[in-house]
Amino acid sequence: MTTRDIVFVVVGAITGLSALLAVTTRHVVHAALWLLVALGSLAGCYIVLGQELVGLVQLLVYVGAIVVLVLFALMLTRAPIGPKDEIDTPRWQRAAAVALGAGLTALIATLVIPVLGSQLVDLDGGAAAAGQGSSAGATTPGIARAIFGTWVWPFELLSVLLLVALIGAFAVSRLVLGSRATRVTRATGAGDSG
Amino acid sequence: MTTFQVANIDYIAILPLLIVFGTAVIGVLVEAFVGRERRHTIQATLAVAGLLAAFVAVIVATGHMGLTLGHVDTATDRHLFALSIDGPALFMQGALLLLSVLGVLTMAERLGGTGSDTFTPSGASTPGSQIEAVSARAGLITSEVFPLAMISVGGMMLFPTVNDLIGMFVALEVLSLPLYVLTGLARRRRLLSQEASLKYFLLGAFSSAFFLFGTALLYGYAGSVYFRDLSQAVSAGPISMNGLLVPGAFLVFVGLFFKIGAVPFHAWTPDAYQGAPTPVTGFMAACTKAAAFGAILRLAYTGLDTARWEWTNGLIVVAILTMVVGSVLAVTQTDMKRLLAYSAISHAGFILVGVIAFDQKGISSVLFYTVAYGFSTIAAFAIVGLVRQGGSEATHLSQWAGLGRNHPLVAGTFAFLLLAFAGIPLTSGFVAKYVVFSAAIGTGGATGTGLVIIGIVCSAITVFVYLRIIVLMYFSDAPDDTVAFVTPSAVTTFSIAIGTMVTLALGVLPAALLDLADRSSVFIR
Repeated sequence: MTTRDIVFVVVGAITGLSALLAVTTRHVVHAALWLLVALGSLAGCYIVLGQELVGLVQLLVYVGAIVVLVLFALMLTRAPIGPKDEIDTPRWQRAAAVALGAGLTALIATLVIPVLGSQLVDLDGGAAAAGQGSSAGATTPGIARAIFGTWVWPFELLSVLLLVALIGAFAVSRLVLGSRATRVTRATGAGDSG
Repeated sequence: MTTFQVANIDYIAILPLLIVFGTAVIGVLVEAFVGRERRHTIQATLAVAGLLAAFVAVIVATGHMGLTLGHVDTATDRHLFALSIDGPALFMQGALLLLSVLGVLTMAERLGGTGSDTFTPSGASTPGSQIEAVSARAGLITSEVFPLAMISVGGMMLFPTVNDLIGMFVALEVLSLPLYVLTGLARRRRLLSQEASLKYFLLGAFSSAFFLFGTALLYGYAGSVYFRDLSQAVSAGPISMNGLLVPGAFLVFVGLFFKIGAVPFHAWTPDAYQGAPTPVTGFMAACTKAAAFGAILRLAYTGLDTARWEWTNGLIVVAILTMVVGSVLAVTQTDMKRLLAYSAISHAGFILVGVIAFDQKGISSVLFYTVAYGFSTIAAFAIVGLVRQGGSEATHLSQWAGLGRNHPLVAGTFAFLLLAFAGIPLTSGFVAKYVVFSAAIGTGGATGTGLVIIGIVCSAITVFVYLRIIVLMYFSDAPDDTVAFVTPSAVTTFSIAIGTMVTLALGVLPAALLDLADRSSVFIR
């Protein structure tokens, strides 16, 4: 058992545990934060396995963007953040979710482990292989060549897509800002509750 | 160690796209820095100016046709180019730009208000709530619609231009996402609009997933997503791999069929058309359809052309279903916008008949049809949006009774556009149907002839639908005279007039555009 194995097991355990907490906690913000831990430690798993680019992308995209997006969505929609019984999922749904999740895990495991379980990859040879990898290779220089050479146009276009998502989110979710409007909002809120 | 190969970029060739996206970005800046009073005017002017400049750039780009934004892989001699600037692509880009000029002008209609008349000032407010009333009184406007529309136009222009499946997927998303948002921003009948937006979004997300799944399968088959490689792989590939090819092609086509509203992927069309702000409906009906047909042509003629025998039968079934279901269900509609939505579905079926011709004539007929239909439909929806009762749009058919007596000019124009949809001679609709059907008979063989017969029967059904409206407008009494045609400003009048005149001109003198479409019907791969 090498140091790498130990680190992998530890990081993997953190990933699994925080993922479990993310789906079992009753606070939606806590769930988002546990998700942050789970995705972050998953990036650790990738780095231990020698795929530093995948790890960094995982950090940037999932931790940096997706979780922030979740929190941002909670903020924009002014969703209730404490535990609330009326928005809680019913028991049967949770049971069904557990069954589905377990089923999917079992399915993927039965498919992937027999096929790839016997293959061994030399992690320390990764750096040497990267130097001579082809442009289609999955190494970091190979991916960089592909993104900024062949795929530069779709890559740049995705920034337009992100921009439109941002404008769209504001165009749809914007409520009246300003003192007079806020007062009216409060007044209607008070009227509803009273 | 392989060296880095820089992508060759012909900036003149992609200038139209750069101008459109650039205008959208400037529009976002305008949104941030310009005061509320002047924002609407500046945004609308900017959008129209950008579209016109891009149209000029398209004309310039005709001298720079070819593959661009990529390189030839020296090791394998593969052409890795992201964009293919060729005849059909530039024709579609030009057509889309002119159609969107009319679309944007219709969206800019203010009817005396501070912002666009048909867009809500605050998208998230509950319909009928006090927040909504306050934001309307405060003069808030949703002028983001112009940058959103511009980005959508950019995505539409890309859709027929891309040279690989990944680029096509990104273009699909870039054109769809703004449309989902625009659909949900109607000022009146907000619940209907929000429902339409959600439905459109969910079904659109499903169809994107189908497209992506199909892309993955085709990549598994060919080892590449470029259309050229795909086509070569199919002609060289082993038949045992068809388990990947056939579902892959099917799923990719499903994604595209969804965008044109072909049956059985049409369920969103009536709801989205009815709920969306009427100018957006016109824009969507004309431009999305044109762009998606451009993409279907590219996929069918350059990517999967060698696998034609695998998927042609599926396409024929879809075309028949689309024509029949669209025409028959149009008969039962009582809402004007839903009726035009089903009419749009049946038109998608007619255009698919042209796609099945598999010939240069087929390409040019599809190009001509989308342009002819686009101009008529934008003008028709612009008129629908201006017939009002008590401030909101009078879209129920019964409200249109007797419109011909009170507003002869408007009813006459609308009747003319309906005749164009029906395909009566001296309108663009007749010429469009004629070229599509003659292409199908010319090279489609017995199947083509069969399709044309079904198409003619369906046209006859739709003639009944349109004539019923004309009879309703002219020969029945108005229930009361509260239904009024709101007099629009010069911009909407301009777009209705241009749309109608193009419909007439293409019906009387179609030769110029037919000739252009003929000359533009060669794909570069």
